[in-house]
Amino acid sequence: MKERILELAAIVAPSGSERGIQDVLLGMVADVADEVRIDALGNGIARHNGQGPHILLAAHADEAGAMVVHIEDNGFLRLVSVGALRPATLVGRHLAFANGVVGVVGAAHDVADQDLGFEHLYVDIGADSRTAAEARVHVGLSGVVLEPVVELADGRLAGRALDNRVGCAIALEVFRTAAGEGRNVTLAFTAQSAVGARGAKTLAYQLQPDLALVIDAVPAGDMPGAARLAIELGKGPAVKIMDQTAIVPIAVKDLLTDSAAAAGIPVQYEVWPEGMTDAGSLQRSVDGVAVGGVSYPARYVGGPSTVIDLADVNACVRLLQAAIRERASRV
Amino acid sequence: MLLKRLTEAAGPSGFEDAVRDLLRAELDGAADCMYTDVLGTLYVEQNRDRSGPLVMLDAHMDEVGLMVVHVEDNGLLRFRTIGGIDPRVLVSKPVRIGRDGPFGVIGSKPLHLQDGEERKHPLSVDQLYIDIGARDKDDALRAVEPGDVAVFATQYGEIGENCAKAKSFDDRVGCAVLVETLRRRLPARLVGAFTVQEEIGLRGATVAGHRVAPDIAIALEGTVCADPVGAPGHTRGTVLGAGPALTVQDGQTLADQRFLEFMMRVARDQGIPFQLRQVKGGSNDFGAIHKTRAGVTGGGISVPVRYIHAPAQIISLEDYHNTIRLVAAVVEAIAEGGFAR
Repeated sequence: MKERILELAAIVAPSGSERGIQDVLLGMVADVADEVRIDALGNGIARHNGQGPHILLAAHADEAGAMVVHIEDNGFLRLVSVGALRPATLVGRHLAFANGVVGVVGAAHDVADQDLGFEHLYVDIGADSRTAAEARVHVGLSGVVLEPVVELADGRLAGRALDNRVGCAIALEVFRTAAGEGRNVTLAFTAQSAVGARGAKTLAYQLQPDLALVIDAVPAGDMPGAARLAIELGKGPAVKIMDQTAIVPIAVKDLLTDSAAAAGIPVQYEVWPEGMTDAGSLQRSVDGVAVGGVSYPARYVGGPSTVIDLADVNACVRLLQAAIRERASRV
Repeated sequence: MLLKRLTEAAGPSGFEDAVRDLLRAELDGAADCMYTDVLGTLYVEQNRDRSGPLVMLDAHMDEVGLMVVHVEDNGLLRFRTIGGIDPRVLVSKPVRIGRDGPFGVIGSKPLHLQDGEERKHPLSVDQLYIDIGARDKDDALRAVEPGDVAVFATQYGEIGENCAKAKSFDDRVGCAVLVETLRRRLPARLVGAFTVQEEIGLRGATVAGHRVAPDIAIALEGTVCADPVGAPGHTRGTVLGAGPALTVQDGQTLADQRFLEFMMRVARDQGIPFQLRQVKGGSNDFGAIHKTRAGVTGGGISVPVRYIHAPAQIISLEDYHNTIRLVAAVVEAIAEGGFAR
């Protein structure tokens, strides 16, 4: 699991630039899937035809980033955000673009941190002219803050894009098990989630599953002075009760908590009023979709480096495996 | 002159009737089939039975405007804006109410009567009114009633170096590009959608995208151009005269990179100048269309418009003609199988 997370977190995939990571992700399940494809908005979809209710495992593959919007005559790049990224978190950092080019982010010296906007930032890729820059980057190219994953302590990983490559790794594992058990299951790595769950909307229209389970990070609230949220790192998976986009139906919540109890997995409860996830887009598609969520606690969600605990991750896998078996047995 | 007829027609969001009537007449003979939906979007089909991808070209008929909400005892009309209008551009502007209704002037307290504090702040919509020269409330109600809409009373005119000024280039210039494209009768399976209610949240396009279910959709727009004020390059949006602007990211859309590259390749092959729209703010109908059903590939092609959403806007007619060339070239290239999804 750790190796897979490290491999996935090293891939640069800002919203709208997911095709590279989708090829990698779908390649990891091609041997057990009946069909793999990438759709119009960039969702990566793997199908396993099987028995029982159609269950969708959805994990977003994208991450917030920044996009080149202008190239100056002297070779510096100007940016706009892709998703919600605080401009101040970029200053002085390395920005890695989807094509491998790396630059340093600078900011106008006369703007206070709290007033900083993307219009005050620039990227230095070592180019001395517009022509030199245009040979390596183009307007519309996106990148991310480079922050490689490190292991802080045993099982505690920190770094960029753990939100939500961890979710992708969980979903991969659960899909393999479900496929092996002959389930009717679809695995989707959603695109453009960080800009407003756009991929999830068109995904749900295509699939119309009987149950959709969203696998994503939930912010932990156990750090000094943290925003109040009753989620602790290392205390197990969080069963989604609600976020800003959706309230989970009681029946789906019960399916998850009953499955956890039966499997002896301690859980926490996700009540995240500010949370923007794929759940709402999935739930409100066409005739409506039963949606639930299993989240892994993560510190510093939205920042350049997120901290997760592998014990939580492994418990998420076991919980989802148990819940899929339980759902299939209820038909 | 098509641009003159289109820009002088009144059509605030939800009240696009005059524009739609005009378009029906302009497209006489260019459509295999023409119909509207319940929201009022006008659809024009061509070559429905052809093979190849179904291409939807979109331009919105509506414009930002004003709605009369109350008539004062003294005959002055209180109003609200429809769509995004900076209240600072409203004071003293002539307006026209309804399709052919009375002219009015947006009035406010004169400078002489404003105290020091008032002079420091721009007037809000609450402090403004439309004066149609009525003696009193009853006199005003003989000409207008609450719910009537108004648009800026700006006439189309060609000015300077191949430029034009008018109201509502956003998005009558897109409508004009779409009309000219449809008149070319390109050998492609095409649906032209002249949509409603874009300025208040891409509402018409949300339904239109679902109805048409295209393989590829392109929104034709008039877009923000802030090049004249000495703004740094990365805050201009677009540059007047530099050609049609292609969207890389706006408030509702991340460009489909393969389609964007395809459009750029077509432009280069045909020697048509183009630019990339260098601003994230704003959006167009593709933002709604690409999220319909299973998702739609496509993009946005825009004519730069200076002073957009204001009473008098300016475009380059060269940009306009190059946009028509690019749209036609892109549609032809799609029909020839040039874009592999």
